[in-house]
Amino acid sequence: MGRLARSLRDGIGFDTLLVFFTLAYLLAFAGLPLLYNIVLSFQSVDMFALGSLFHEVTGLENYRAVFEDPLARTVLWNTILFTLGSVLFQFTLGFALALFFNQAFPGSTWFRGLFLAGWVMPGLVVGVLWNWLLSGDFGVINWLLLNTGIIDDPIFWRSDTDYSLLAVMLANIWYGVPFNMILLSVGLAAIPEDLYEAAELDGATAVQRFFTITLPMMRSTIGAVIALGIIFTLQQFDLFAAITSGGPAGSSMVAQYWSWELSFRQFDFGRGAVIAVMMIVVVLGVAAIYVRSTRQETRL
Amino acid sequence: MTATDQKPQIEFIDVDKHYGSFHALKAINLAIPKGQFVALVGPSGCGKSTLLRTLAGLEKITSGTLNIAGERVNDIPPRKRDLAMVFQSYALYPHMNVRDNLTYALRLKGVSKAERARKADEVAAVIGLDNLLDRKPRELSGGQRQRVAMGRAIIREPKAFLFDEPLSNLDASLRVRMRKEIRALHDRIGSTSVYVTHDQIEAMTMADHVVVMQAGVIEQQGAPLTLYEKPVNRFVAGFIGSPAMNFVPATVDDTGQTIRLDLKGQPTIAIARRFPPGTHVVAGLRPEHVDIGDPDAAGYAPIKISAVEATGSATYLFSDDDPELIIVAAGGHSARAGDTVGFKIAPDRVHLFDPKTGITLGD
Repeated sequence: MGRLARSLRDGIGFDTLLVFFTLAYLLAFAGLPLLYNIVLSFQSVDMFALGSLFHEVTGLENYRAVFEDPLARTVLWNTILFTLGSVLFQFTLGFALALFFNQAFPGSTWFRGLFLAGWVMPGLVVGVLWNWLLSGDFGVINWLLLNTGIIDDPIFWRSDTDYSLLAVMLANIWYGVPFNMILLSVGLAAIPEDLYEAAELDGATAVQRFFTITLPMMRSTIGAVIALGIIFTLQQFDLFAAITSGGPAGSSMVAQYWSWELSFRQFDFGRGAVIAVMMIVVVLGVAAIYVRSTRQETRL
Repeated sequence: MTATDQKPQIEFIDVDKHYGSFHALKAINLAIPKGQFVALVGPSGCGKSTLLRTLAGLEKITSGTLNIAGERVNDIPPRKRDLAMVFQSYALYPHMNVRDNLTYALRLKGVSKAERARKADEVAAVIGLDNLLDRKPRELSGGQRQRVAMGRAIIREPKAFLFDEPLSNLDASLRVRMRKEIRALHDRIGSTSVYVTHDQIEAMTMADHVVVMQAGVIEQQGAPLTLYEKPVNRFVAGFIGSPAMNFVPATVDDTGQTIRLDLKGQPTIAIARRFPPGTHVVAGLRPEHVDIGDPDAAGYAPIKISAVEATGSATYLFSDDDPELIIVAAGGHSARAGDTVGFKIAPDRVHLFDPKTGITLGD
């Protein structure tokens, strides 16, 4: 048996092969589309030019068009609001639930498992479900708010421009809480019990233990969860498609949905690509935070 | 030490602890005077750690009274008991450097930063960590972590120190050194210490007062040598001393002053007290109390040797018997496996136990 064959079976050759396949896969299915997307953002691509690989280069024309679009401001603001709002509430609710289920009471692990049921549902199904809950005429949420006297007239969540983004955000928060809870639960479980006992003997109250032990020990987990939360929220598409379609009048339009709308509704692939490129930049930044957080985790 | 202090610093009165149907501590009565070093020792699962944790307040007692410095603390949470504990895992705060670990309790108490720094330097000097104050626990060796854990306890000047098997994660030579250091520290500070260990040598060498536990019960408590010389039952006799005491079934002879051991050749040995002839007993013979000599000499009973282990300082002889007898001879010994030697033991060093209850007979 040759040295090369032996190395391929068990040795540096085998390792190289594994890395090669992974890199080749990433390059073919993530790298190239990404690059092509950047190229598209500098070209004029309409429905009639779709068949060809290369198109007329128009420089920054697409970027100018996107920024001058009257919708751009709303979309930017909506995207920021939607992302920060979703992540903030997904995280705090998820953390609160994780802390709650971390208390070992009968059935705690079982109940925690039940929460995952929401997370495994397809986004479109969650969207349909929330359509019913949020319905202006017969929705449960309106019924609750009316009966508790919080509002006097029903809110038409999906068709009122003041509420449409909030409607999707509510659904998205509900959708993302279980994921946050599970990751944070894992982080909590990794903190040794005797640290809390030592702190208790050192005179720390429950609140002091939370701020001096739990939070600092969870730093890397929290960083990872928030980074993933931002990335997932920027990817959220199904709920917009199912609940508001970005409307009415663009009042719930966010970047990811707008990119799709420009590309596949208006068939202006160049402008759709521009938004995608800008989102890539943001996601890359967040991903860097994620990688840093997880690296710290292994060092602990 | 300070046996003159009348009121015990720590006092367990009829303390019971149940976990559901499991009875972890049974009618514990223990009084620890101020300044005493007490070791709780016993096999794993005997309740010694549970006892320490109830003292710390990490476990609630089911019934009975627990007093610290004369105050009933049954319902006082751990943070208000003013006790410092050194954990088996050390439980150092991984995200804080040594200085912050040491001064964590002071920070919670609102001690000023300057005062905390001064105290940290002072304690670091005592435990020999002067130049490690800025390190994180993960950058320390096992022995250094152990010292930080000790320092974290000392800095608080608590009512008592609790140790939960603090040396079991260290290697043997460091363990022996830390044993002496902990005891020296205890003497220097004049503190009250409660020390849990499964290692009877640790308990015997460090403590003023040893508490032997089994199955949630205190079997015997007293000075280390009292436990060794006058064990109240077979369990304590077997637990204290290394290698462990030999137990041999025996019958009292017609004279009432000798017993016949249930070994090969039915050797007879003298006992210090008179018992009714025919009484069945269990004889306890400490390996280090048995003398080896010529099997034909007067007073020596013959015994066949199956194995010999020499450590240099002592020689361990194992008999070809059931139960196997272990004999320790100081220094070297010429016996080899297969030899027959004579053995003898002074009558006042033979312990006798009731075969059924295990309680010490006589006295």
